[in-house]
Amino acid sequence: MAEDQAAAVKETSAVEKQPETTGAEAPTVTITKRMMVAIDESDSSFYALQWVIDHFSNLLMTTEAAEAEGGLLTVVHVQSPSHHFAAFPAGPGGATAVYASSSMIESVKKAQQEASAALLSRALQMCRAKQIRTETLVLEGEAKDMICQAVEQMHVDLLVVGSRGLGKIKRAFIGSVSDYCAHHANCPILIVKPPKEITT
Amino acid sequence: MASGSERVVVVGVDDSTHSYHALETALDLFFTPFKSNPQFKLVVLHARLPATSVLGFAGPGTVDIIPLVEQDLDKTADLVKKKCTDVCSAKSVEITSLEVVEGDPRNIMLEAAERHHASVLVLGSHGYGAVKRVFLGSVSDYLAHHAHCSVMIVKKPKAKHASNDKH
Repeated sequence: MAEDQAAAVKETSAVEKQPETTGAEAPTVTITKRMMVAIDESDSSFYALQWVIDHFSNLLMTTEAAEAEGGLLTVVHVQSPSHHFAAFPAGPGGATAVYASSSMIESVKKAQQEASAALLSRALQMCRAKQIRTETLVLEGEAKDMICQAVEQMHVDLLVVGSRGLGKIKRAFIGSVSDYCAHHANCPILIVKPPKEITT
Repeated sequence: MASGSERVVVVGVDDSTHSYHALETALDLFFTPFKSNPQFKLVVLHARLPATSVLGFAGPGTVDIIPLVEQDLDKTADLVKKKCTDVCSAKSVEITSLEVVEGDPRNIMLEAAERHHASVLVLGSHGYGAVKRVFLGSVSDYLAHHAHCSVMIVKKPKAKHASNDKH
């Protein structure tokens, strides 16, 4: 039953696309280099975004020279499916489950959407500061699966991920989403490691 | 014009199609768009396996085979050097350093990335001993986990579909 729900969520993934271009250039550039950066609330993913902005600006900027290269940066954020919040095990041993009222689900969903919007606006600000041609994308589902699917469907030329996300297991060298994408994504993948000073 | 702040891209190659494809991808991303003001230096590194690791087990008569294996490995190394030079000059990219180091590819790549203070290490996804069922080769997997610098893993070259198919 849980699998059916998960599948249903994956199929009805909420996709919002807001193409952003700074400057007055008409968006008729053919995209030859589409880069995708996956972000979550972790510092590591924002550091990865900054890395891309710093190293690939010649490909991605909205200047004429860069437009000739046809670069586009897609910033993607995957929300964990909100049906996870529908039932809360309560009582000793979790034997009884308390089902959340619909208003509770609504407020959780709203909080999630606000959090995603905040993340993406932070990312967009970073990109705009360097005149990067950017678009944002919100997906809902399991992060690793949604990212690999998006790579396929959008014909991404380079996927960029941070090395560690939210599951901070200290002994793991790279996070599970990054590891999964390194194995399964159909395009080149760039795993950005944190700078050496931050070695927590 | 502070060229001392040029960043280094290290590309690891063996003699597989994956690594030449990785080299070309690295050139397309880091070098060809910057023709007017180069921002990166290219280091190409070939890890030459020691003959003993290729042979695996020692049995009678192995001693006689070793020089032949060494010769073959040297020939491969020369071939790789030549091919890389050709690929890079076809894209008008200058190789700052083309190195052949003998030993375990994992350690060699790690050490080279440290030595050159690499910004990014680029590898093919499969190389030595490409096992078809495995999603990611052992050397690439190891380096993705253990390198301190960013690691770019380039998958096998797939048939080019229409790149403007935006549906």
